Amino acid sequence: MKNVVKKFPGVTALNGISFDIRPGEVHVLLGENGAGKSTLMKILSGVHKPTSGEIIIDGKAFSHLTPHDSYKNGISVIYQELSVINELSIGENLFIGRLPTKKLGPFETVDHSEINRRAKEILKTVGLNRDPKTAVEELSISEKQQVEIAKALAADSKVIIMDEPTASLTNSEVDSLFKIIRRLKKDGKGIVFISHKLGEIMEIGDRVTVLKDGGYVGTKNISDITQDDLVTMMVGRQISKNYQHDTLSFENEPVIFEVMNLSRKDNKVRDVSFKLHKGEILGFSGLVGSGRSEMMNAIFGAQPKSSGRIFIDGEEIKTSSPYSAIKNGLAMVTENRRETGFFHNFDIAENISVLPFVKNSGAGGISGLVNRKDEARWADEQRERLNIKCYSPKQLVSELSGGNQQKVILGKWLAADSKIIIFDEPTKGIDVGSKSEIYSLMRRLADEGKGVLVVSSELPELLSVCDTIAVFREGKIVKTFSHREATEENIIHASTAQESEEA
Amino acid sequence: MPTKLKEKELSFSQAWQRYGTLGILVLLLVILAVLRPSFFFKTSTITQILSQSSVNILIALGEFFAILIAGIDLSVGSVVALSGMFMAKLMVSGTAPIVAVLLGIFMGALLGFINGILVNSTGLHPFIITLGTQAIFRGVTLIISDSSAVFGFPASFSRFMAQRILYVPVAAIIAIAAALILAFLTRQTKLGRNIYALGGNRESAWYSGINIKLHTLIVFVISGICAGIAGVVLLGRVGSAEPAAATGFETYAIAAAIIGGTSFFGGKGKIFGVVMGGLIIGVINFGMNLLSVSSTLQQVVMGALIIGSVTLDRFVAGRK
Repeated sequence: MKNVVKKFPGVTALNGISFDIRPGEVHVLLGENGAGKSTLMKILSGVHKPTSGEIIIDGKAFSHLTPHDSYKNGISVIYQELSVINELSIGENLFIGRLPTKKLGPFETVDHSEINRRAKEILKTVGLNRDPKTAVEELSISEKQQVEIAKALAADSKVIIMDEPTASLTNSEVDSLFKIIRRLKKDGKGIVFISHKLGEIMEIGDRVTVLKDGGYVGTKNISDITQDDLVTMMVGRQISKNYQHDTLSFENEPVIFEVMNLSRKDNKVRDVSFKLHKGEILGFSGLVGSGRSEMMNAIFGAQPKSSGRIFIDGEEIKTSSPYSAIKNGLAMVTENRRETGFFHNFDIAENISVLPFVKNSGAGGISGLVNRKDEARWADEQRERLNIKCYSPKQLVSELSGGNQQKVILGKWLAADSKIIIFDEPTKGIDVGSKSEIYSLMRRLADEGKGVLVVSSELPELLSVCDTIAVFREGKIVKTFSHREATEENIIHASTAQESEEA
Repeated sequence: MPTKLKEKELSFSQAWQRYGTLGILVLLLVILAVLRPSFFFKTSTITQILSQSSVNILIALGEFFAILIAGIDLSVGSVVALSGMFMAKLMVSGTAPIVAVLLGIFMGALLGFINGILVNSTGLHPFIITLGTQAIFRGVTLIISDSSAVFGFPASFSRFMAQRILYVPVAAIIAIAAALILAFLTRQTKLGRNIYALGGNRESAWYSGINIKLHTLIVFVISGICAGIAGVVLLGRVGSAEPAAATGFETYAIAAAIIGGTSFFGGKGKIFGVVMGGLIIGVINFGMNLLSVSSTLQQVVMGALIIGSVTLDRFVAGRK
């Protein structure tokens, strides 16, 4: 790929990226969330059309690829959310779209024995010891992934792109994946390996290309560099304005919120404890899936916890459902706001008043009347506080711009006037201009004595807002930094370092 | 100014949403008046339409809530039959009519409660659950009635149900009262607001502290109560409890709710619309009888009208 540029309306997702893959190598693509890895991958698979630049495959130049070009020229992508079809057999999955056929009288029918014969050969290469007739739904995640790799081989791909293939694998499964990757290298395949886990990258990669904010940082031979070099390449962006009070220390402030030994049955959160002091904003960093949002969902009662105690102002509270959490003074601005925060059938005022209505009612939220004066007042307060642009609080939210919808949802949670507010990705989908408004708001809430917890994948956001940053890895808090000690480097290091090198 | 323009367009589609069904109803009445003026301009006509629509409107009021949470209740016809049969048995065995009626409505609530519990505990779509309970409740009706009709109710009951107050039959008064109470519930109570929220976005409702199972249960109990009351009205009108009573009535109830503007995807709709939808169906039925359309052809016309009116509604609403 040479000088590839991809512009989306309003954003340059990729700005002049050059990237090459040699046969028989593992080329790692590294960068934070939003650095442009997925866009790059989608250009190679033909989902997106680059704005400019060219793609050269075996000397043939393309201005863009269609999914068909991509496939015909030997590029396969294995997405993090695997695209195998659970209902079909392994063999059928391998040849889907071009199933071998045979004549049966006047009809052309699927040749199952041919499928199974060819599938067996390919499965041997990827080391999957399964009958090709097995339904894919019976397989484990790592086996499904092997089927995906086998599918790439069945298509005779020369380049296989793997998007965070180890994200949901256990250690031994990762080892066997690496064995397969080494075998593919020997067969002359080019592998593009996307991962956040630095230890893995050092182990399996030959070269690494680092992207940052859609720009190209550099390409290096893995043998020439260290993990620390990688971290330095990934970060190093200018530090934005800070919202912390530098003079304050929270050690002597009262603890207003505490979580003790919280765990989830699914092991996504393991024995987590933390304290929040008055006036403090506590941030949670970590990779997607490291347990941050999962912990918040458990604290808020939206997803089950297996053990753990929660205290507000020293008093233990039970949060068996969001209802009890809200009643006890918690609020959570959820990450996927369209799915979990928003009522398309309601107007702005109705959306905002859902929370305070529920909070102020008894009998499981069902008793009481709708007070339209309160409703209008809450809506006006939030409209002013968050600068929501609309012509009337009676306007349907579905007519608002995306950023304004996000603000309505924020307003809904703020209207409940809760003691502790959890922000899960508070500025997701919010334009740059409004971000600073929200940061100031969070600081104001903390100064007023509210507890503010923030989960964010944007490190600069955490660094400029939070007084304390806890880093999650594999369901545990592995490190806690005060904002004076915290840097992008040490946070990324803590969230990506492998278990083994800590000792 | 662009915002001004937007407001204007919005008010048009809102006006349609609010008064569109009323418009259709008036249009139908005008057509009928033109075609059969001699019959139409009689108070007995209005009385008859109201009386015939009451059962359907009552069932549709409950069905409305089931559809509002993006569900459905296919068992309503069987609930009408079973609670009616239960009431009838009580009355002929000497229970005071008022006690029998209350117990009958309670039976409706209980059957709705069973629906709600089954939906909550299995996690299956209400379509499947109520398809099953439709058959079960009907079967139980056949068993307790020994497959034969029950009649011979106390005179006080029949007399009360046949009364008219200012030409308005008791059945219609019951339906109107139920509609008013439920309109209050939907518009003025937190319970009503929560049900709309649940229908609009289940996940959001859960995260907003709305107890999904509790509200689902309440919705099915409301549907059951409405069907139970419809059972009372049907007994009064027919004068007997038939084991096959109200078979297929769920179709008309669903049609009334949908014609009245209730969104099949949940979260949108109004009680006023449901009443209009029920009256539209009533007028169409009455009109076809008046014009001596054969009962077989009536089925075809009714089906076509359901599809036609909803299409028209979407078409007009989609213009914004």
